[in-house]
Amino acid sequence: MSFPILFKDELKGFYKSYIMIILWIGLPILSILLYLWSPDTSEEMPFSVLIATMISSLGGSLAGIMITVHLIHERSRHVYELFLVRPVKRENLLISKFFAVFICVAIACAVSLVLGMIIDYFHRGTIPAEIIKSTYESFCLSLATMASWCSAGLLVGVFAPSVLVGVILIIFVVNNITSIALLLPMIMKASYSIVYSMIFSVILALIFLILAIFIFDKKQF
Amino acid sequence: MDYTENKKLIVFDRVTKKYGNLLALDDVSFKINEGEIFGYIGPNGAGKTTTIKIMVGLMREFSGNCTIADYSIPDNFMNVQGLIGYLPQEVTFQEWRTVDHALKTFGKLSGMTDNDLEQRIKAVLDLLDLTEVKNKKIQKLSGGMVQKVGLAQALLHTPKLLILDEPLSGLDPASRFMIKQTLKELSKNGTTIFFSSHILSDVQDIATKIGILNKGHLLKIGNLDELKSEFFQTQDIEISLSHLAEGWRNLISLPGVNKIQQKEPGKLILTTEKAMDLDEVSHNIIRQLIELDCRIRSFKPIIPNLDDVYLKYINEDN
Repeated sequence: MSFPILFKDELKGFYKSYIMIILWIGLPILSILLYLWSPDTSEEMPFSVLIATMISSLGGSLAGIMITVHLIHERSRHVYELFLVRPVKRENLLISKFFAVFICVAIACAVSLVLGMIIDYFHRGTIPAEIIKSTYESFCLSLATMASWCSAGLLVGVFAPSVLVGVILIIFVVNNITSIALLLPMIMKASYSIVYSMIFSVILALIFLILAIFIFDKKQF
Repeated sequence: MDYTENKKLIVFDRVTKKYGNLLALDDVSFKINEGEIFGYIGPNGAGKTTTIKIMVGLMREFSGNCTIADYSIPDNFMNVQGLIGYLPQEVTFQEWRTVDHALKTFGKLSGMTDNDLEQRIKAVLDLLDLTEVKNKKIQKLSGGMVQKVGLAQALLHTPKLLILDEPLSGLDPASRFMIKQTLKELSKNGTTIFFSSHILSDVQDIATKIGILNKGHLLKIGNLDELKSEFFQTQDIEISLSHLAEGWRNLISLPGVNKIQQKEPGKLILTTEKAMDLDEVSHNIIRQLIELDCRIRSFKPIIPNLDDVYLKYINEDN
C-alpha cells in the first residue's frame, strides 16, 4: 500500500534534482562524443561494452553518490521519523528510493544509447543488425551495472556515519567492486561474457539491497 | 475499537532503556487514561524524548512493557499506527517538498482517501494559519512555521492519541495560545494528548496530569495539586502595607498562622497551615490588621506554580 505512494514521492523528488538534470543532458552528450570519437577497441572489448562501461560507470556512480548523500542527509535530519510512525514498511522507504533513481538513470541511459544509434544511422545511412544488437547488449549491461550502483548507494547510505565517508566508500570501494563484476568475465575470456557480467551485476545489486534493508530494519531512530 | 471512560490508553510498565553505559530510562512506569492531557516535564537529557520514541515505535530495544490501546509496542505497533499523531522534537521534511505536498503524502500514508484529504488539509491549514504558505517549499519557511506544519501532519488524520515532543517550542505567543486552545478542544472531544515541554507555564495551562522525569527516573506523577501537596504543606500570604503599625508581630497568635516575616519595609509574608480554611485565616488577619490601624495595599495568597513544584522535585532528587 505504501510503496506506490513512496515511489511516486521519491520520483518527484529526484527527477527535478540537479544531478538528474546533469545526467539527462550529460549522458547523451557523452554518447555523442563517444560515437564521434569511435576509438579502435580490440576484439576482447567490443565497442558496445566500452559505451556501457563508461555510461553505466558515470551514470551509476552519480546515481550511487546521490542516493548515499540523500540517505545520510535525511537520516541525520531525522526525516524518516514521520514516515515510520505511519503504516509504512521500512524496506519500502529504501526500495522506492532505489527504483526512483534507477528509473531516472535508466531513462538517461536509454536516451543516450538511442541518440548514438540515430547518429550512427545518419553516418551510415542504415543501422546494421550488429549495431542494434550491441546497443541492446550495452543497454542491458548498463542497467545491470547501474542497479548495482544504486543498491550500493543504499547500502552505504544506511550505515555510513557521514556524507564524506559515504562518498569515499562509493568512489573508492563500490567503484572497484562493480568494475570487477562487470569486467571479470571479459578478463577471464568467458564465452557470453556480457551475459555473465549482467548476471554478476544483478546478483551484486540484490546482495547490496538485501543488506541495506537488513541494516535499515535494525536501526533505531 | 471501543473506548470506555477512564480506560488506560497508554501503559508504560517498568521500562528501562540504555544507550551503552548510559541509563536513559530507569524502571519508568505510568498509565495514561483516555481523554487526558499528560504533560511530561524534566531537564535536558532526562529521557523525555526516549520515552516518546519508545511509544511511537522508533526505538524498539528496551526492557519492560509498553502498550497502547492494549497493543504491545513495538511488536504490534502496526495495529495502532492509525491512532497516533506524532510530532518529533525537531520536525524536518525533505527539502524539495511544499507544505501541500508534504501533507498530501503523509495523509495518504496514514490511509486517508483523496476526498477526505483535500478537505482535511484545508481545515488543518486554516486552523494553524498556514493557508498562505500552502504552496511554499518547507525549507523556505521560518522555524515556527515548520513547527506548525509538523503539527498539521500530526493532526491530519484525526488521531485518537497525539504524542507531541515539545510542540510549542519556536512559536510566537499568539501561535502558542492558539495551539493550546486547539489541544484543549481536542481533549474535550476525546483525544488523548501526551506532550513534553520545557515551558512549564504551558504545561500548567493545559495538562490534566503531569509527570516529572529526572535522569531517567519518574519522580512524581499527578495533577498539580497532588504534586504540590508533597512539598507545600503550608500556605504563604503576601501582604503589602502603606502603613505598618506597631503590634503587627501579634498576628502570630492568630489560629493557623505559623510564621511572619517582614520581607522589606511595608511587606509581610505570613505562613499559614494549609489544613486551615484560607478564607477564615485571611478574614482574621485582615480584621487584626485593621484593628491595629495598618493600611492594607494588597493581600495576596502565594500559590506555588509548576515552576516552584518542578524545582523542588528536581533539587530534592539531585
